Amino acid sequence: MNWRKWNRWIHRELGFLFFGMTIVYGVSGIALNHHITRDWDPGIITRSTTTQYPDALQKSSVDRNTIEKILEITGEKENYKQYYFPSKDLLMIYLKGGHITVDLTSGRIQTTMVRNRPVFRELNYLHYNKPKKLWTWFSDLYAFGLILIAISGLFLVKGWKGISGRGGILTIIGVLLPLLFLVIYLWL
Amino acid sequence: MQKAAFLVIIAFLAVSCNQANKETSTESTEVQQIVTASIQELLATPADYDGKEVAVSGMVTHVCRHGGQKCFIVAEDGETQIRIVPGGDIDEFKIELEGSNVAFKGVFRVLNTVETEALVEDFESQEHHAVEQSHSEAEKADYFVEAVDFKEVTP
Repeated sequence: MNWRKWNRWIHRELGFLFFGMTIVYGVSGIALNHHITRDWDPGIITRSTTTQYPDALQKSSVDRNTIEKILEITGEKENYKQYYFPSKDLLMIYLKGGHITVDLTSGRIQTTMVRNRPVFRELNYLHYNKPKKLWTWFSDLYAFGLILIAISGLFLVKGWKGISGRGGILTIIGVLLPLLFLVIYLWL
Repeated sequence: MQKAAFLVIIAFLAVSCNQANKETSTESTEVQQIVTASIQELLATPADYDGKEVAVSGMVTHVCRHGGQKCFIVAEDGETQIRIVPGGDIDEFKIELEGSNVAFKGVFRVLNTVETEALVEDFESQEHHAVEQSHSEAEKADYFVEAVDFKEVTP
């Protein structure tokens, strides 16, 4: 068997083997990109509702009765955990499955309930290498496989469409693009 | 058949390496006395606790939404906070910990100047840090606890 056949075999078999891993890292990669740039969390779903406290509030006047009243207004009495003041104008009441923030000066109550986002939570769990242990080695193996897929991909086709022609130009563009981003965002 | 065997050998080597690494890390673990300290005590003289295993507890005020890779606990004064990061076998802190009193066991660490500058630079580059939060100071601080174990104590 000549080297081109081996090359094609490596590219094809690793492509099949790591299809699932590529989807895991690809989908979670997009989600994590947008997590960083936008106010959207791929791992959790939040639902917020706003209500109003009837009277003016001050940090010094907030006691258990005030908390009870807020919990009654929001209907979250059963879920109460604890409260504290992140600042002199803000009261935070922790709930099972969420929290309530109260702007003491305006009396505005915001109830935020949080739950895990299906699928994305699991994908991110793997992407962040939270399982550690064997997953680290399997994902390293995948990374190594990805490098082999990329290198073997360069030599799949002969002639003008291959690395010595159009393929080579595309490869150079693909290498230069990340360098260009580094020049613009990091080095300049 | 030969090709399939090649792939199996690679996978086996990866597993073997992991096992060997695990044994080495277990052997090198030193037995240290755990120092129980309040958050204020840790922050009053951080150098005294640097690198020591400590036990510290408090109410969790926030769990990082970016994969639960840090959380913050508040001291009894209701203001002073400290950053806790997962270490050992802890994979993440779950959001459900917010509002719970949690006792942590871990290593207290103080970053050097270069590490602190990198931390602050990273903090300031993140869009979601644009609004100052009650835990922001602790998030940028040069000290933190790398937790190896924790237990929810209430509610």
